[in-house]
Amino acid sequence: MTTTTQFKVLEQNHPRVDAYEKVTGRATYASDVYLPGMLACKLLPSARNHARIVSIDTSAAAALPGVRAVITGTDFPDFRFGSGALRDRYMMPREVVNFVGEPIAAVAADDEATAQEAVDLIKVSYEDIPSVVNPLTAMTEGAATVHPELENYEGYGFTMGHNVSTLLDADRGDVEQALHEADVVVEDVYRSQGINQGFLEPMACVADVEPSGRLVIYASTQGPYQIRAGLAAVLEMPVSRIRVVPMELGGGFGAKLRLAFEAFPALLAIRTGRPVKLVNTREEVFTMNGPRLPVTNYIRSGVMNDGTIVAREAYTIFDVGAYLGAGPNSGIGHGIGAYRIPNFRLRSYGVYTNKIYVGSYRASGVADMTFAVESHMDHIAHELGIDPYDLRLHNALREGDVSVSGAVVPSNGLIETLEAIKEKVNWPRDLEDGHGLGLALCEWRSGSGPSTAAISVNDDGTVSLLTGSVDISGSDTSLAAITAEALGIPMDKVVVAKRDTDLAPYTGQSGGSRIVYSQGTAVQRAAEDTVQKLMALAAERLGVPEDALGCEDGRVYVLDNEPQGLTFAQLAAASITSRGGPIIGTASLSSMPYTPVFAAQAAEVKVDRDTGQVKVLRYVQAQDVGVAINPMAVEGQLDGGVVQGIGRALTEDQQFDPETGAVRNPSFASYLMPLAIDLPEIEDVLIRAPAEDGPFGARAVAEPPGFGPPAAIANAVYDAVGVRVKQLPLSGERVLAALNGEYDEIPLDVEALRFAEGII
Amino acid sequence: MKQPLTLNINGEDRQLLVEPFYSLLDCLRDEARLTGSKKGCDEGDCGACTVLMDGKPVTSCLVLAHSAHHARITTIEGLAGVDQLSPVQRAFVEHGGLQCGFCIPGLIMSATGFLQENPDPTEEDVRFAIGGNLCRCTGYSRVIEAIMAAAAEMREAS
Repeated sequence: MTTTTQFKVLEQNHPRVDAYEKVTGRATYASDVYLPGMLACKLLPSARNHARIVSIDTSAAAALPGVRAVITGTDFPDFRFGSGALRDRYMMPREVVNFVGEPIAAVAADDEATAQEAVDLIKVSYEDIPSVVNPLTAMTEGAATVHPELENYEGYGFTMGHNVSTLLDADRGDVEQALHEADVVVEDVYRSQGINQGFLEPMACVADVEPSGRLVIYASTQGPYQIRAGLAAVLEMPVSRIRVVPMELGGGFGAKLRLAFEAFPALLAIRTGRPVKLVNTREEVFTMNGPRLPVTNYIRSGVMNDGTIVAREAYTIFDVGAYLGAGPNSGIGHGIGAYRIPNFRLRSYGVYTNKIYVGSYRASGVADMTFAVESHMDHIAHELGIDPYDLRLHNALREGDVSVSGAVVPSNGLIETLEAIKEKVNWPRDLEDGHGLGLALCEWRSGSGPSTAAISVNDDGTVSLLTGSVDISGSDTSLAAITAEALGIPMDKVVVAKRDTDLAPYTGQSGGSRIVYSQGTAVQRAAEDTVQKLMALAAERLGVPEDALGCEDGRVYVLDNEPQGLTFAQLAAASITSRGGPIIGTASLSSMPYTPVFAAQAAEVKVDRDTGQVKVLRYVQAQDVGVAINPMAVEGQLDGGVVQGIGRALTEDQQFDPETGAVRNPSFASYLMPLAIDLPEIEDVLIRAPAEDGPFGARAVAEPPGFGPPAAIANAVYDAVGVRVKQLPLSGERVLAALNGEYDEIPLDVEALRFAEGII
Repeated sequence: MKQPLTLNINGEDRQLLVEPFYSLLDCLRDEARLTGSKKGCDEGDCGACTVLMDGKPVTSCLVLAHSAHHARITTIEGLAGVDQLSPVQRAFVEHGGLQCGFCIPGLIMSATGFLQENPDPTEEDVRFAIGGNLCRCTGYSRVIEAIMAAAAEMREAS
């Protein structure tokens, strides 16, 4: 067991490396970039949800003084792209629009007001095509088809055609037999709502063309290399002709993982030869850039009287909107939760509809799955008369079990997280009328993917760390801490380099709880490589074999004679004229072993029986973080995640017009994210079961906190007033309806799904 | 057409030429090129553009630039001295009251204005004082902790 005292840097609070810039207003976000001669870009959104563009007349717009260029879909190469293998989307529609809000023209003008005036002068003639907005309707025979040509798209596969973009499956054992032999079968249908990522910095980008014709993009992004690749594809340019400079990222949460609107100012910059800036309005953020869309989940379990879950069947329908912006993978990946269930049949559908395309958000879909799975656990517990805590403990995954993906579960702190919550909230506890306590167990895995790092040693003994990853949630500070720990130097001797796609080695996106775990491992290995090179040089200079040397506190010394040694500064200076040259340590990796992350959470709520309003009085979470690289940052992640989850549980609700699919509440005044006044204090317990892999035993942190609140709060509401609401958010209206016995179960034709599945 | 406008920004009189329809926020960012105040919504909902106008916190996106003629404006850029953060800024750094940072200038300005009015607040008071500032990253816990710490430090210093 790792103890926290063995570290010199880790497990201690460190202010962020970028804190001074951020508290003084000096941090530069993409919208803060002002270049000489810069033009402003504005977009024309589609007014229809499914229509053929008969004509777009841009002549009046182009003739407006101050307008420098106008582009429409046919100005781009005839090329479809996608977020994954399936290419279902044009950068800008050429002939057919698929959702209200889809950008169909872009203007560059001397200033924003002129650009907007020009946009308003564009005349579009549409010819409507039958559309479909409800995903359950879209799955039925005879429904309007969103992509009639789907089978001809590149990357078509794993699909059933018609409106089903994706069908994923996961099976183990004999579900029918196990359900037959079970003492009790419990089934539920859950539905979760559309959710906006709610990042505070609207999407923004400045495109510039260098005199050589090279494109430079100042972007607000989690994935500079993904933007570069996306732009290269949709503009038919070699990647070497594009440089992406990631600016300070004002929140992304998955929404800024991929190419968004950067191609519009890019093409306008190419056309005009001048820098072009696009900053979305908040309304555009809500109506143009993919949010999470509603999820419907059917879940059925076979359980023995002692609480052992023997079978699980789950069908999950993810509305993906107009384009498959993010896959429905969590429908199978998280259908059994953090439990050992020997027999399962999981099906996950992605279904096209004529509304804004689905995007990624903090472990896309896992929060929806956790709401269903963890509400269902309480339903099972109540059906059997077993304590919900005991039911979870009884079925919880243990080391050596096989996870849903088939990976063997390594050592972990799941049980400790449950026990910590039990102790912290004093479970079980009788509360006054209208008050309730609810639990949720969350599971996730540390993110993998291509990671690179380079560390160079400066001649004052400091080091410069270069990675290609964008700072997300303080990851630069964590990577600096890992560097410092591995090199045995203090944090303030690590400089984290600003970088762009020309300068830094290729790295995967900053997302999916990937950076500290995977990128951090690359950094740790690069530090080890640096130490090795320093030791080799020291051996040469000191005339002793390498194995006679130690390395500590920024100095390489002779083990038998500590005063004899060379500091990093001396070695760096010496390296300049050495055989090996200046010292730089590097590391690359592309995948990491399965390292799960578990968290247990509890909510204490008060339900107002007259209004149905739910107030969270207390929220406690215990998460296995392995090792806390920077405890202050870890807790910041946990707090922020839970608050996003509380918003999802109670107030956030992206609503869509049932006829047109248009977003009905595209503002912060109508899409209600939690404010400080809405919240209790969040209590965090860090469990430290070091991971077998990962830097110094650290696990991923950022995703699981947001999974638990909807189920924990729904379970607490049940505990408080005895009603189970299976639909999010748990609005006062919905809870009151349930209290009045007027809450309807969600209709879902499961037999039709089982039948449909037989078609493949 | 752009009209002349005089603002005292961070203690300095500035003569600017500003469109009549410009908000104070657009004026600060586009004309004065002080980009610390952020445009998160341009509708007064998020608080990221909060500045002090004659000492009081306002959402600068909802103030017409020309209605601030001759007003005293303090932005995030005006809080720190050379190598010297304000107590509120320092507390945000030390207590980890920031993540992506986009909402932070607004939060710090709200807190700065509030602590001038109420130097000895309860935690509940602080929650209300920043009730107009959205933050999506932090969950507010460490922001509140930082503001309480800054209040204590400022009381001690005075």
